[in-house]
Amino acid sequence: MSLLRLEALSKRFGEHWALKEIDFDLEEGEIVGLVGPNGAGKTTLFNLITGRHKPSSGRVWFEGKDITFYRPHEIQRYGISRTFQSSRPFARMRVLENVVVGRIFSGKFHLFPHTEDTNMARQLLELVGLAHKEDALAGELTLSERRRLDLARALATEPKLLLLDEVVAGFSPLAVKQAAELVQRARERGVTLFIVDHFMSLSLTVSDRLLALDHGEKIAEGKPQEVMRNRKVIRAYLGTRHDDEAQSAER
Amino acid sequence: MTREQPTSAPMKHLPLAHMVLLLGLAILLALPLLSGGNDYILQVFTHALLLAILALAWNILAISGSISLGHAAFFGVGAYTSGLLSLESGVSPWATIPLAGFAAAVIALGVWLFCRRLRGAYFALATLAFVEIPRVLTDNWDGLTRGSLGLVGLPGLPALRFGSHYFDIGASSVGSYYFVLVYGLLLLAIVTLILRSNLGLALQAIREEETAAASLGIQVQGYRLLALLLSASLSGITGACYAHLVRYIEPGMVYGLHFSATPVIFAICGGRFTIVGPALAALLLYPLDQFVFHPLLPAGHEFLYGAVIILAILFLPSGFWGQLRKGQFVSIKTGSIE
Repeated sequence: MSLLRLEALSKRFGEHWALKEIDFDLEEGEIVGLVGPNGAGKTTLFNLITGRHKPSSGRVWFEGKDITFYRPHEIQRYGISRTFQSSRPFARMRVLENVVVGRIFSGKFHLFPHTEDTNMARQLLELVGLAHKEDALAGELTLSERRRLDLARALATEPKLLLLDEVVAGFSPLAVKQAAELVQRARERGVTLFIVDHFMSLSLTVSDRLLALDHGEKIAEGKPQEVMRNRKVIRAYLGTRHDDEAQSAER
Repeated sequence: MTREQPTSAPMKHLPLAHMVLLLGLAILLALPLLSGGNDYILQVFTHALLLAILALAWNILAISGSISLGHAAFFGVGAYTSGLLSLESGVSPWATIPLAGFAAAVIALGVWLFCRRLRGAYFALATLAFVEIPRVLTDNWDGLTRGSLGLVGLPGLPALRFGSHYFDIGASSVGSYYFVLVYGLLLLAIVTLILRSNLGLALQAIREEETAAASLGIQVQGYRLLALLLSASLSGITGACYAHLVRYIEPGMVYGLHFSATPVIFAICGGRFTIVGPALAALLLYPLDQFVFHPLLPAGHEFLYGAVIILAILFLPSGFWGQLRKGQFVSIKTGSIE
């Protein structure tokens, strides 16, 4: 049984098909990169998996359960967490509190924060390199720090599956390398990862497999190097060569 | 790492903040002596305390990001519920005041029914409009509420007896004042406990980023409703206390702008991301208005409130108490409440 199964998943916004009949299986322990040009439907796919949007048709299965129409917080409780393309920190709360929030509400509710909640939050801040900022307001962090805070907050929920939406967009090559290490460490903690990565700077190095979308359709899936050589993927990213034009006209 | 020494930026501001609070409390406790038996001073501060309590209750909802411009609905329904029940049945106000909280919560459910999908300014405007429903009903349902005549001769708060000690509340200004002060401190303790708990953490997270909060497992609508019910019922209880202290209410008064607008003004001025800020602002501004601006400008003394809002928004967007606490609200240091 795969951890996450997408079954003919479609989403229509008005007349526009953001996603068309996506079938995909994600196995436990994998790191899968979700790639594709702007508007390919990557974030929409994440929004369908996490319950933020409801699909027009199709099903989402997680550990054999149909979670298609569950609400976001319920899906989170089953073990799926995410980060957001535009980082969404709790700006007027402290960095440590941001992470504690992730820890507290994913599990059994208790009325006051336990010492172990804050200790775990501190460990995660250490992991993402923000330990020295725990008392800062989250709104005062830089872009890269915010993304790392997002990651720590999502990891605090102890997810089985973590969806990362453009965690390295705008990062320097060095920061991308550090992020790749973080992703590997997350996998070592037993987390399965699904990573949206427009420029493939992260997913090429860390992914076991890639899923490529274009205009809401699956155009390729498989080993990163194979997907990279796939004609449709190259065409989606780089446009059409002169001798390809006849083919693209058919589309 | 310096885990054992979790003293950092916010700690530096605590001693000053605590000193201000202790000084304020000392002044409030000694006020009947300081006022030299002047009833007017005590009455103004009694009312200021009630407004402070209302602001505290209002802020439970505001902490979750929902600004209400219609808390007079809960205050007024609470005042009328307890007033009518005690007047018609002769039951002690001590029994009817809790029912006022319940009635206000029922009204809050009505607000929720229509406004649960609204956020920000839309929610605020809807609550502003919603006040009119209980006001118009109270004003016109003469058979039940005695209409615009209001309720006259409400029973005052009966004396409390603890063993051989005997506290007369309704009979004197001093008694009323201390009753409201004790009630205020009790409510402050309750609100502090609520907002420093994980519930408070959830409410703040929802205010800051609802989508992210939901993605971390927070049941957003459940917590928003809970905040509304808590805030409304505490406001209703406060309205009931007001009714029995003043012993005369009418619709235009208890459903009026005074009780809808002042919590917002005090929260903006004192700091709506803090616990005590709104209450402190009430205790400073209302007496300032009554003792200084009212004698100077009998017709337009309330311009003070407009002026402080503009000044606060321009120069102290997190309120004076928020400025002092550097935005700190809930503090998690070692896993316990601060």
